[in-house]
Amino acid sequence: MPLVRTERLTKSFGALVAVDAVTFAVDEGSLHSVIGPNGAGKTTLFNLLTGQLAPTSGRIVFDGRDIAGTPPHGIARLGIARSFQRTSIFPTLSILDNVWLAAFARQRSWRGLAWRRADRYSEVAERAMAVLGEVGLEEKAGEPAGAISHGEQRQLELAIGLAAAPRLLLLDEPAAGLSPEETKRMVTLVSKLKGRYTIILIEHKIDVVMSMSDRISVMHFGSLIAEGAPAEIQRSPEVRRAYLGGFAAP
Amino acid sequence: MSRAWLVTLATVVLLPVFVRHTIATEIWIFAIFGLGLNLLMGYTGLLSFGQATFFGAAAYAVGYLLKHYAINVVLALAIGVAVGAASAALVGYLCVQRSGLYFIMLTFALNQMFYFTAYQWTTVTGGEDGMPGVPRPEVLGLDIHAPLAYYTVVALLFVLALWIMRRIVESPLGKILQSIRDNELRAEALGYNVPRMKLVAFVLGGAFAGLAGVLYAMLFGIVPLEAIGFVFSGNVVFATLIGGSGSLYGPVIGSFVFIWLSESVSAIWARWPLLLGVAFVVVVLFLRGGVVEAWARYRAWRHASG
Amino acid sequence: MLYALMGIGLSIITGVLNIPNFAHGALFALGAYFLVTLIQLLGNFWLALLLAPLGVGVIGIVIEYGGIRPLYRAGHDYQLLLTFGLSLIVTEGIIIVWSPVGMSQLPPPILRGGVDLGITIYPRYRLFVMAAAALLVLGAWLFLERTRYGAIMRAGIEDKEMVSLLGIDIHRLFTAAFALGCVLAGIAGALTAPIRGLNPWMGVDMLGIAFVVVALAGLGNLLGSIVAGLLVGVAQSLVALVWPEASVAVIFGVMTVVLLVRPQGLFGIR
Repeated sequence: MPLVRTERLTKSFGALVAVDAVTFAVDEGSLHSVIGPNGAGKTTLFNLLTGQLAPTSGRIVFDGRDIAGTPPHGIARLGIARSFQRTSIFPTLSILDNVWLAAFARQRSWRGLAWRRADRYSEVAERAMAVLGEVGLEEKAGEPAGAISHGEQRQLELAIGLAAAPRLLLLDEPAAGLSPEETKRMVTLVSKLKGRYTIILIEHKIDVVMSMSDRISVMHFGSLIAEGAPAEIQRSPEVRRAYLGGFAAP
Repeated sequence: MSRAWLVTLATVVLLPVFVRHTIATEIWIFAIFGLGLNLLMGYTGLLSFGQATFFGAAAYAVGYLLKHYAINVVLALAIGVAVGAASAALVGYLCVQRSGLYFIMLTFALNQMFYFTAYQWTTVTGGEDGMPGVPRPEVLGLDIHAPLAYYTVVALLFVLALWIMRRIVESPLGKILQSIRDNELRAEALGYNVPRMKLVAFVLGGAFAGLAGVLYAMLFGIVPLEAIGFVFSGNVVFATLIGGSGSLYGPVIGSFVFIWLSESVSAIWARWPLLLGVAFVVVVLFLRGGVVEAWARYRAWRHASG
Repeated sequence: MLYALMGIGLSIITGVLNIPNFAHGALFALGAYFLVTLIQLLGNFWLALLLAPLGVGVIGIVIEYGGIRPLYRAGHDYQLLLTFGLSLIVTEGIIIVWSPVGMSQLPPPILRGGVDLGITIYPRYRLFVMAAAALLVLGAWLFLERTRYGAIMRAGIEDKEMVSLLGIDIHRLFTAAFALGCVLAGIAGALTAPIRGLNPWMGVDMLGIAFVVVALAGLGNLLGSIVAGLLVGVAQSLVALVWPEASVAVIFGVMTVVLLVRPQGLFGIR
């Protein structure tokens, strides 16, 4: 039973069709990767799923209901969280506050929003600390998020996504700009999440994708050109053509 | 009780000993005004150039009611807060849809609109001459005509306002507003309805401005036209800025410095706005964190050198 | 026409530098005062009319160089606050150097008196101002459309990164744009002086109007600011005929509506 599926989802900017009639489904509990060359429309697809962009046409069905056109904050409240390809954090707030805000957003009730002291929400603080522990940032909890290294900011980016206790987690190139060492740590982190969350992953490092994914969708010029288990994708002639241009290997 | 609270309370008690009561009262009124703006400017990152709209609207509305219907003080304050909040809700609703330059220009345009309405609506506002004769009735059976008595009322209200503002900025809402200031897109992606949160900040800020406006009208017994003008909006922005925006006590320190300086300098030299302008430029160029940050820097420097 | 002149000047500054220049009104007033003093010094209206705006332009360069430039990294909010502070300084400076009391300035002898237009007699100087402003607006438009510098400035409004990639010194562009905007404000002020007289606060109303014009036109839309300037002028005189008390408030009401319904301005594309 898919947790989220799209039907002929399309987004065009003037004459450019960034996402072209994409239909795919992600099963609950799986890790589904989206790969494709630069400019294939992967991040645009994410922006459609999270409501940052409204689709030109098509449907997005999450947990049985059409969510296309819902604003981002509404979608987040449904339990879809994301990490950004270009690090998007709250630089002047502490690392703890960064994740705290993500955890609080998902609280069922916002009672005391403008009056109760923020440090009295013990369950939110516990969740925030637990997530920081998971990504290995708990010792830096009090530091401002703008002051830590790029690698640590990528970990924080992931932690913000996790703190929302999402039903669907969208990871947009979590290892972007990381050194080989840091990439290895990030891969371990993500594979530990596998099975506990439903994850859609955009990633350029093919070996990482092949080793972790349950299923892979391949995008090229806005369209979905192939979908299947990693082994099938490796054999697919279309994928080779897309990646290697006209020089398809035999 | 924290040290900052003790210092504040001590200042509230000792100020009338050293400063003329009217000025001392004005300091705390302006501080209330600044607290409200700071929620917008310092915490939410919304540079509102139209705070005088709410201040003036409340001052005129309540001044009119006090003059012609002789309402009691508690009701007057409540209405002032309500008018401030309501006008801010109206302006805020229009403004939060836009960001950046458009936001600032909208707050400015709406401020101008209110200003010229007040300017021309002479039958109610008195136009350029202001609305004189605002009475200062008894509060709970106590006569507050004596400057010190009125000072006490204002000071108590200030302490209350400061306490409320502290609760607000330490609440989840305070964190959410700061997250909007830092990264609007991310806050939205986390599940916060950013325009609505901004509107909440506006309404709260407007309520503080409204309270300040009423106290101001009762202090001087007149609502001058300048109280709704955009220079007044600029003054409160400036006071908040010298104190240090984004920290709770910034606007308090700022209005202290601002009112005290402007009152003492204007007594000797009519051209004091020149100094104000110069100070504005100096603060913006060299001291953007205001007094609060300068103090922190000084502490860090002392710490480092021994 | 004067509104159009103010509007273009502010539009260039707002468009290129991305800050609403709160000192624009004060610079307008400064233009008028420079004119008066130069007339007293030189005894020649025409020379004064030429030099006064240039003086304002020089002040503009100083402001940009010494104030706005160091603040590029601090953000627009601070640049805006700086211009607000400067407007106070300039206004108070005028009061100190000249006086807080209003002054009047007669137009040069050749432009005194009226012209019989058949239906009504119209002051000669006003006709001159209209013609001069129209010429200047045309000149500014030609400069922006037809010359290399104008092209660079328009490109700067469209896309600053691209311009700096093309190897053009973006800082010089900013300075030039700011100075040009100030010169236009100065001219408008100088031309106004003989019509309305002078007082240190004459710029405040003008600043509001200029903002309205820019907002109506769309930020950085130069041709739009010419049209919007004319529109506001005409609209204001029409409303003043019917309901004089409300004329200014109405203008700001219109601006608010436009900003809300069409934030890109009436003629804007962005």
